[in-house]
Amino acid sequence: MVSHEELLSLAKLAKLSIPPEKLQNLAEEMNSIIDFADTINSIPADQNDFDNINGLSNVFREDTIQESLPQEEILKNAQDQDDGCFLVKKRS
Amino acid sequence: MDSYSTIRKIQEGLLHREYSCEELTKSYLDAIERDNQILNSYVTVTPQEAFSAAKRVDQKIAAGKPLSPLEGVPMTLKDNLSTNKIPTTCCSKILSGYTPIYDAAVWETLKAQNAILLGKTNMDEFAMGSTCETSCYGGAKNPHNLKRVPGGSSGGGASAVCANLAAYALGSDTGGSIRQPASFCGVVGLKPTYGAVSRYGLIAFASSFDQIGPIAGCAEDAALVFDAISSYDERDSTCSGRKGAPCAESLNQSIKGMKIGIPKEYYEGLRPGVQKALEDAQKTYQELGCKLIPLALPELQYALPVYYILACAEASSNLGRYDGIRYGYKTERYNDLNEMICKTRSEGFGAEVQRRILLGTYVLSSGYYDAYYKKAQILRGKIVDAFQSAFQKCDIILAPTVPVTALPQHYSSNAVDNYRTDICTVPVNIAGLPGISVPCGKDEDNMPVGMQLIGKKFGEATILRAAHQYEKAARDTVFCPVKMGVEK
Amino acid sequence: MSQYELVVGLETHVELATKTKIFCSCTTQFGGEPNTHCCPICIGLPGTLPKLNQKVVEYAIMAGLSTHCEIAEESKMDRKNYVYPDLPKAYQISQYDQPLCKNGYLDLSDGRRIRILRIHIEEDAGKLVHSRGNTYVDYNRGGVPLIEIVTEPDFRTVDEVREYVEKIQSIMRYIGISDCKMQEGSVRCDVNISTREKGAKNLGTRTEIKNMNSINFITKAVEYEFARQIDLLEAGKEVTQETRRYDETNDCTEGMRGKEDAQDYRYFRDPDLVTIHVPKEKIAELKALLPEPEEDKFHRYTEEYQISEADAKNLLRYRRCWQYFDQASEGIQNKKALASCILGQIFRRLESDSAKEAFEINVTPKHLHELIKLLDDGKIRMNLVKSTLEKMLDTGKPAADFLSEKDLAGISDEDLQRLCKEAIEKNPNAAKDYLGGKEKAIKALVGFVMKSTHGRADAQKAETTLVNLFKN
Repeated sequence: MVSHEELLSLAKLAKLSIPPEKLQNLAEEMNSIIDFADTINSIPADQNDFDNINGLSNVFREDTIQESLPQEEILKNAQDQDDGCFLVKKRS
Repeated sequence: MDSYSTIRKIQEGLLHREYSCEELTKSYLDAIERDNQILNSYVTVTPQEAFSAAKRVDQKIAAGKPLSPLEGVPMTLKDNLSTNKIPTTCCSKILSGYTPIYDAAVWETLKAQNAILLGKTNMDEFAMGSTCETSCYGGAKNPHNLKRVPGGSSGGGASAVCANLAAYALGSDTGGSIRQPASFCGVVGLKPTYGAVSRYGLIAFASSFDQIGPIAGCAEDAALVFDAISSYDERDSTCSGRKGAPCAESLNQSIKGMKIGIPKEYYEGLRPGVQKALEDAQKTYQELGCKLIPLALPELQYALPVYYILACAEASSNLGRYDGIRYGYKTERYNDLNEMICKTRSEGFGAEVQRRILLGTYVLSSGYYDAYYKKAQILRGKIVDAFQSAFQKCDIILAPTVPVTALPQHYSSNAVDNYRTDICTVPVNIAGLPGISVPCGKDEDNMPVGMQLIGKKFGEATILRAAHQYEKAARDTVFCPVKMGVEK
Repeated sequence: MSQYELVVGLETHVELATKTKIFCSCTTQFGGEPNTHCCPICIGLPGTLPKLNQKVVEYAIMAGLSTHCEIAEESKMDRKNYVYPDLPKAYQISQYDQPLCKNGYLDLSDGRRIRILRIHIEEDAGKLVHSRGNTYVDYNRGGVPLIEIVTEPDFRTVDEVREYVEKIQSIMRYIGISDCKMQEGSVRCDVNISTREKGAKNLGTRTEIKNMNSINFITKAVEYEFARQIDLLEAGKEVTQETRRYDETNDCTEGMRGKEDAQDYRYFRDPDLVTIHVPKEKIAELKALLPEPEEDKFHRYTEEYQISEADAKNLLRYRRCWQYFDQASEGIQNKKALASCILGQIFRRLESDSAKEAFEINVTPKHLHELIKLLDDGKIRMNLVKSTLEKMLDTGKPAADFLSEKDLAGISDEDLQRLCKEAIEKNPNAAKDYLGGKEKAIKALVGFVMKSTHGRADAQKAETTLVNLFKN
């Protein structure tokens, strides 16, 4: 079970804002999902941490320079930019 | 092009000059213009890209040069595959206007072969969903019955192939997103082994589950596409590429004596029409000389919660980057940075995506990590082991793709109810195995039923062969495109 | 005040001197216009994937070997999740519970052993510049590889902190894995400070000061913070666990405005990267690549080659310099003279620190070797060495181009006798002074011989010859 408070701090971590009028509904939805996740509680689990699904190791890259993309391409999708930088305005 | 043609037939037509590639392309684009308003399979149509590739193909044919296996064949990409200079939105408001500056590895490969890209197809937002309805563009429709969903999350691709608006589509599958819509729409959908196809350029949902694969009209077409897109790509550290010879070369080998596992847990709670179609399929395989091996896979009972815990955990991390600063939607009014980011994300993400991000954040958060994420990882290992043991007794596994057929639109507002349709597909992603959905009949409502063939790791050739042999034997189940509206 | 004990732990971030970033092939070169050393991967575009730079792993292992660490046979990369504009993916790829190196140490001159808990690899974030209320983001530095070296809270004095920070940089520079330019930000320290009564078993509450890139400010901050904590404890108050800022202008630390909830980073293994397996053979291979320990080299330079401590330190300060010295001096007897050529004439031509680091001169180690070999063999004297070296530095040509047969012939004993007699004849006053008891007067005669042979004569030998001539 997740309380309203917990839900709000989860949202804070996830950088989501929950309007107060939607909080109750969302809490109910989340609790139903968490109940569903809780079904694993009763399953015994004894072995070690599972590794990675592909069992590969030591996949490396050489330290060789490749040309970077031009500044205009990097900034192409940014809504706000200035002086070659991504711009985050203090306020809208 | 109203009647269905396989990839090989399409190319034969080109080489025999029955039509030019430009004419071929135009006929598909005309069909899209006519039918997409009803089906909503496509969210972006790319006639310029398509025609310039078609031109190159026609020049090649005129010069007498041989064609690569997929050259000149009209196709589509799911809208979570990055296409340089072509909008890629994952059908989410938060990526509205985003135009990638690079191509996904699979698109690079197909573009080099002059695949004719007709457009980008509709999907559940960020691939999170099983109906295509969480798309910010509204859901696609199932051509078999417009009141039913095409499935998800690759709903647009499956409905496009179903209605012959593309010869094949590339989709992505994290918990069933290729196989389930293929099943609902009566087409073939292949999810390769995890690591067989490069994920570079696939906008990530759950990194240790996502795979790109083909949706097509038959097993041979799926094999041709899989062979083309499964080359090793050094940019994806988790990719090893296809192992062994191209699958299309061994489709006609006999499957007599093949051992087909039948796990009893997979056959519980099926819709009667689905049950019957699967039983018929089993009979067909027996007639082909295969041996049915009963199996027990009790580990499947916890596959669904394990999947949702792990996939949502990875998703919550993968989706952290959407904050409006470098690309995509940005909220209009804010007073400080934190407010900007929170509002952007809350306005840009749909409800299902936000729920999954919250679940993922919850299972990773301190105090809960051990009980959820860590435990789910251990259980994942158990499911991997269970399949490994099963495959010591059989060569492939036969199961339904979904316990039901295509659901009505807006089936359930309850998230967990919607998750349950993934029950047959999810275990395959958990174990990283290849799985293919093949149409095997219709149910009481005349809606397509899909059977799922699950193979060993890198065993695509085996399941494709079993699928192909089935198609040859059970002619009445073979895909036939659904004709949509009347000609104008 | 003396009843309290200072306890400090350090986390040092060191930028590695690889050519490319840790997960993509963009250059790590400093500077450049904003966002010109970027690609889809390091700006975290949707769909991109990281690929680990092998050199980063190797350099980190070398750092571990140089600090007596155990190298993990298996390790992995983890995601550290938090949202901030300088972190394009909203997670930093780092190592959480399976670092590459652990359980090392560094011994200080006061006998204290600083235990190194771990060394792990991670990616750096981009740069934020706040201006006119807005924030400007440049991702050029985003993805630059770092190692993080974490110590146990073993420091007890400010001098120990200073020595450690200097020593760590010196080691990393010496083995060649980082240029360690603290002023440029390639070395940053997070300092953890706590206070307890002397003899107490438990640690006090610690405060943290992050991202310090000046040793002077670090020591000042530690001093201030120690005093501040003592004041609190004496007044019966508690020290709050928090992150504080060092204020350079006022030389004090201050709490940061706005209480931040302790961050929950939700670490989990990065599914886009695979296990790092370091076999014993690899460790041996990298160990062999390491230069001999700096202390050993210093010892050899000072004890065996008779080079002064100060000179030895100067030679060892720059990697390319001591590599050059080792190469050129192999097989040379008078290594001290060779060293003085480097530290004198060559260094004079390499004015700045970075010039000395780059050590680009047009005299090859082989050429310098050849020149000093002539000195070893007694064929030329030091003053000719110097003047020839100047010409070599000017032109890049070898010594042979500037030395005639005559120069190399040296002075025969016969000629020396004759020249000495000539000196006595031509300098009667000096000769008279010497015979009269002024021993120093012989120097003038030696000088005359040296002048007439253009410095080719052996001054010592000339003096002996003159003395013998006077005796007779």
